[in-house]
Amino acid sequence: MAWTGLLVGVVFGIILQRGRVCFNSAFRDILLFKDNYLWKLGFLAVGLQAITVLFVAQMGWIRIAPPTLNFFGNIVGAYVFGLGMVLAGGCASGVTYRAGEGMTTAMFGAVFYGLGALAMRGGVFSGIRTWAAGFNITVAGNSPVYFDKVGPTLATIFNINPWIPAAIVAALLLWYTLGTKTTDRPTKFNWKMAAIALAILSPIAWITSEAAGRNYGFGITGGWISIFDTFISNQPLRWDGYEIIGIILGALIASLLAKEFKLRMPKNPKTYLQVMVGGIMMGAGANLAGGCNIGHFLAGLPTLAISSIVASIFLILGNWTMAYILYRK
Amino acid sequence: MAKYAVTKSIDVRGEVCPVPDVETKRALKKMKAGEILEVWIDYAMSKERIPEAVKNLGHEILEIEETGTSEWKIYIKVK
Repeated sequence: MAWTGLLVGVVFGIILQRGRVCFNSAFRDILLFKDNYLWKLGFLAVGLQAITVLFVAQMGWIRIAPPTLNFFGNIVGAYVFGLGMVLAGGCASGVTYRAGEGMTTAMFGAVFYGLGALAMRGGVFSGIRTWAAGFNITVAGNSPVYFDKVGPTLATIFNINPWIPAAIVAALLLWYTLGTKTTDRPTKFNWKMAAIALAILSPIAWITSEAAGRNYGFGITGGWISIFDTFISNQPLRWDGYEIIGIILGALIASLLAKEFKLRMPKNPKTYLQVMVGGIMMGAGANLAGGCNIGHFLAGLPTLAISSIVASIFLILGNWTMAYILYRK
Repeated sequence: MAKYAVTKSIDVRGEVCPVPDVETKRALKKMKAGEILEVWIDYAMSKERIPEAVKNLGHEILEIEETGTSEWKIYIKVK
């Protein structure tokens, strides 16, 4: 069943490419350009998924696995990830779909992202991860929608039905995204359409991924690790590894059809060094944090996991710090 | 040949996000009213985002000219 990741990935890649869904830009534009277009796309997708993912869990089609809370990993890992994504010129999903659009810097960024994640999982950085694992916090799931042991969520902390915080957060995010002014951008596939498409695809990702034995929704970091495990150690490709290949193919197809595919190269070779360093920081940070902008922000926030809330705050702060250093003037 | 009396031209093709946006902003800051900036880009997202940012700064977009496959020149009149 791991191959279903390929189908989900292709659709995901098309949405990311057509919707220009870059979280690095989303977080940064609001600081540097006072532009909230992609920022709102992200938060609308989170608000809608809080309902759609919980709905399929309520139906008994999946059980939700909110990520484990680890203050050290979620704070330090996410902050390093946030710094890295500015250097790499894209977030985890950004460098992945841009590789499919022919951006050569993104190809380097993505490969070094995978290497950084591998190094934190079991390589030179793994001592940090092993040490930090001592601070892992899990609790008993307080609802049948959850697995038995989960990272704490707003629902487990207050011991309330998960629908209560999900409805409140969804209502607040919908009010904020739809009720306040949004920066204009002349796109055919606008931010609302992209957010709705993501909120529909997300539960499908959870269902197919759990059927393949991987208890989570959208993800990027684990997928790149899986690709390296297959490439180097001949292990079977997992659901999220297929998903990554799908994203690249989807973005390739979408950009070819829109005549937006082009092999692009910056004039200053230093840019390659910058994206390689950024990629390593992102990969190592994401693996330590237990997720990237997709695992924690896009997929984790809708589960209202405390780990994803903490990690999202710190990956945004990391992004702002590096964007301020490099681009404020 | 040249459509506009371009004062300054920047070629930001292939640069990582958001270098094209930032370089455009930096160039505009140094220019005087009435001058024309030409920005050469090759990324579709920049084509959508740069004009909006430039308008917000109060400048005028004269034209977005397609110059090749996924390549455009944006002409900006400084206000």
